[in-house]
Amino acid sequence: MDIRRHRLQNGLRVAVVPIPGLLSAAVLLAIEAGQWFEPIGRPGVARLCSLAMLRGTTTRDAKTWADALDAIGAAARLDVGAHAATFSAQSLGSDLDALLELMADAVINPAFADKEVELVRQQTVAQIEEDARNTRAVAERTWRELVYPKGHPFRARPIGDLDVVRAATAEQLRDHHRRAIRPDGAVLVVAGGVEAQQVFDASANAFATWRSGAAREARTIPEVRLATALRKIEVVPDKTQSDVVLGWPGLPRTDPRFVAARVTNMVFAADTFASRAGHVVRDELGLAYYVFSTLGGSRGQSPWVVRMGVNPINVERAVSTTLDELRKIVEGKVSEDDLELAQDKLVGELDVARESPAGVASLLLEGEVFELGPDYAERYPRELRAVTLDQVVEIARTFLPPEKHGLAIAGPPLPERD
Amino acid sequence: MARLLCIPVVTDAPASRRLDNGLLMHALEARHAPVVSLWVWYQVGGRNEVPGTTGMSHFLEHMLFKGTPKHPKGDLDKLLARYGALWNAFTSEDVTCYFETVPAERYPVALDLEADRMRNALITAEETEAERNVIVSEREGLENDPSFLLGEQLQAVAFSRHPYAQGVIGSKEEIKLMTRDGLYAHYRRHYAPNNAYFIVAGDAPAEELLDRAANAFGPLDAEVPIEQPKAPEPPQYGEKRVIVRRAGGALPIIQIGHKAPRASDPRSAALSALAVALGGATAGGGEAASGRSARLYRALVDTGLATTVDASYQLMKDPYLFVAEAHLRPGVTHDRVERVILEELEKMARSALSDEEFGRVRRQMLSASAFMTDTVTWRAFRFGQLLATGAASSLGEWYERLAAVTAEDVRAVAESVFQEKGRVVGWFVPEQS
Repeated sequence: MDIRRHRLQNGLRVAVVPIPGLLSAAVLLAIEAGQWFEPIGRPGVARLCSLAMLRGTTTRDAKTWADALDAIGAAARLDVGAHAATFSAQSLGSDLDALLELMADAVINPAFADKEVELVRQQTVAQIEEDARNTRAVAERTWRELVYPKGHPFRARPIGDLDVVRAATAEQLRDHHRRAIRPDGAVLVVAGGVEAQQVFDASANAFATWRSGAAREARTIPEVRLATALRKIEVVPDKTQSDVVLGWPGLPRTDPRFVAARVTNMVFAADTFASRAGHVVRDELGLAYYVFSTLGGSRGQSPWVVRMGVNPINVERAVSTTLDELRKIVEGKVSEDDLELAQDKLVGELDVARESPAGVASLLLEGEVFELGPDYAERYPRELRAVTLDQVVEIARTFLPPEKHGLAIAGPPLPERD
Repeated sequence: MARLLCIPVVTDAPASRRLDNGLLMHALEARHAPVVSLWVWYQVGGRNEVPGTTGMSHFLEHMLFKGTPKHPKGDLDKLLARYGALWNAFTSEDVTCYFETVPAERYPVALDLEADRMRNALITAEETEAERNVIVSEREGLENDPSFLLGEQLQAVAFSRHPYAQGVIGSKEEIKLMTRDGLYAHYRRHYAPNNAYFIVAGDAPAEELLDRAANAFGPLDAEVPIEQPKAPEPPQYGEKRVIVRRAGGALPIIQIGHKAPRASDPRSAALSALAVALGGATAGGGEAASGRSARLYRALVDTGLATTVDASYQLMKDPYLFVAEAHLRPGVTHDRVERVILEELEKMARSALSDEEFGRVRRQMLSASAFMTDTVTWRAFRFGQLLATGAASSLGEWYERLAAVTAEDVRAVAESVFQEKGRVVGWFVPEQS
């Protein structure tokens, strides 16, 4: 890949991959304003702030900004995750200047008008109420509350706590915006039918007035380790399927063992065909329609979880089968073929992701956000290939102890256990 | 107007070939990435089922992943996983479709898989039993979603004769009754080269892509041609209504469907524009920034009546539904939101969009087409969808039809579709647990 980089005077880092022959360009603007950077005790403020940023600026009201975005036919959204608030968009290459100008306006000059803050608050309250009847959302919330202690940035889902959302003020959102929505630590990645210099010039114009405020306060979060198996069942009325979240607190993306952990995740449960638990639970035993694991990347211990959709009568068997597969890894009963399959899958996916501008931008983003080095895109496949069986076993023993997990089940009542 | 004229044009012209066994093949070059995406579209779906066998095409789709004599279960799965392939399948009312996106040098492996399972799937009794649980689990997962429950009922009420009433996944009871022999007979009848399209897009000359495909699929025998089901939906003579009451959701939902023309109808491009005007070109909840200039967003979300809105017109073989959907804010009544939606639909039928508003709609629609064709997988999918439904014979033709739509076309099609006699209204009413 032909990666061009540039740093603006305000610290915003820009990376571009021109792809000749394409009509459009994908844009990812990742700002270090996710849950990890949220005010302690106020889960949900980061997402509310982001939603309010899309509801008008000091130069354009909400309607005018939305009209301008749709007038260039761009697709755009702003999501808050564990690490970043990420503005993701796609436009025709010829519209990139206009798109970046609109994104910059929302990022730099949000108005936080009372009426608009109230609208996003009510939307969020309604979503939280809806999520209380959504088995996947309930399982996710329950698992986080089992595993992370009070005050931990990942104890709540990004949507936050109902009480916090109800009480949030426009001034609190402005305060979060001043502290967290800043160019230092932010990354702009563009891939597609554009020239690198065009992107550098356009981003310099659009984001010239973006400034970082006072230095960030250092944040120390105690390490989370589970001492035993924790389990909680939440009955959600009038449902037919149980959603299950089984997991552990993960490890920071900056931990040197993270790449080995990603390979371990693939060996264990990340994929139905390439992973042991996925293959056995769905393909061999037919216990679940979906089963997969994810390992989040952030500056903290993001969730490392297996998610399953299972009939209530099969929940216990699906969970015990998954843990049995994990025990085999922990006990070293994992073959070179298991490891090679996982590595091939992870490396092969990098090639296939190049089929789209959004895929190329995503390939770049992680290395740019966590400053993994200018050669990261070339180095990463080699690092995946270099992981050994011993490392996989060690990672599983350290981070995935089968007897010390969190298990949340949401859905109909489960049958009595034997 | 200058901005409208500078939209790049999607000009893909496919290379096409028909094999002696009847398989229609089309290839598109996509040279920006070292990948190939291939799709096999079978002309079988929910429309080919009768009561007692609903869900059979979808069940069969699952069984096509269970191996052949040449490639036992797990064999090619692992191989494709090793290549990092993006691969899956789906079943709709009209078609069943299988695809693989793979590194370009692995194209022959994916071809081998698809050619082999077109005629040689094992479909054993043992695997049928194991997969039955998975499909029941899939069905139960969908039942957890109030929007699915309401949509399924809306579809069932909307069609009195056409098999579109049955949906795709089938009832849980019928899934439990499905037999191995029934599935196998369905397979042998419908999975044949003369009942399929093969589409490929990728990093090689189009003729070369077709040559390789011809080598893989050429030796397969044709099947006795299938008579497609003919159960035309009779005219509807008044609004129909359905209410779903369950404790499984917290927020009320409204879906309003109107009978709409099939994909091959000359008005299908204008209907696509109408959906963008009402619901935007991209969906996505509160985090979505685009599509907020759409009529329903302005009338329902900006005003605090709903949390999300959508408007959809699907490309289908036979006349189907244009559906508007809203998830209501707590405390807002169905009556009120239904009235607002119907008022907005009526406005669309009464007055043409202004130049400014129509410019936004057109721009979103054409940009979305370009975004789709810039991804190899979606370029191949879109092309196959246009062919399989009869909407157009190429991406370029469809793009030109979208680009030719006028504001008056949108008004006129709204007037013809948004009729009380063709309407079906569904309410999801959450009950206290």
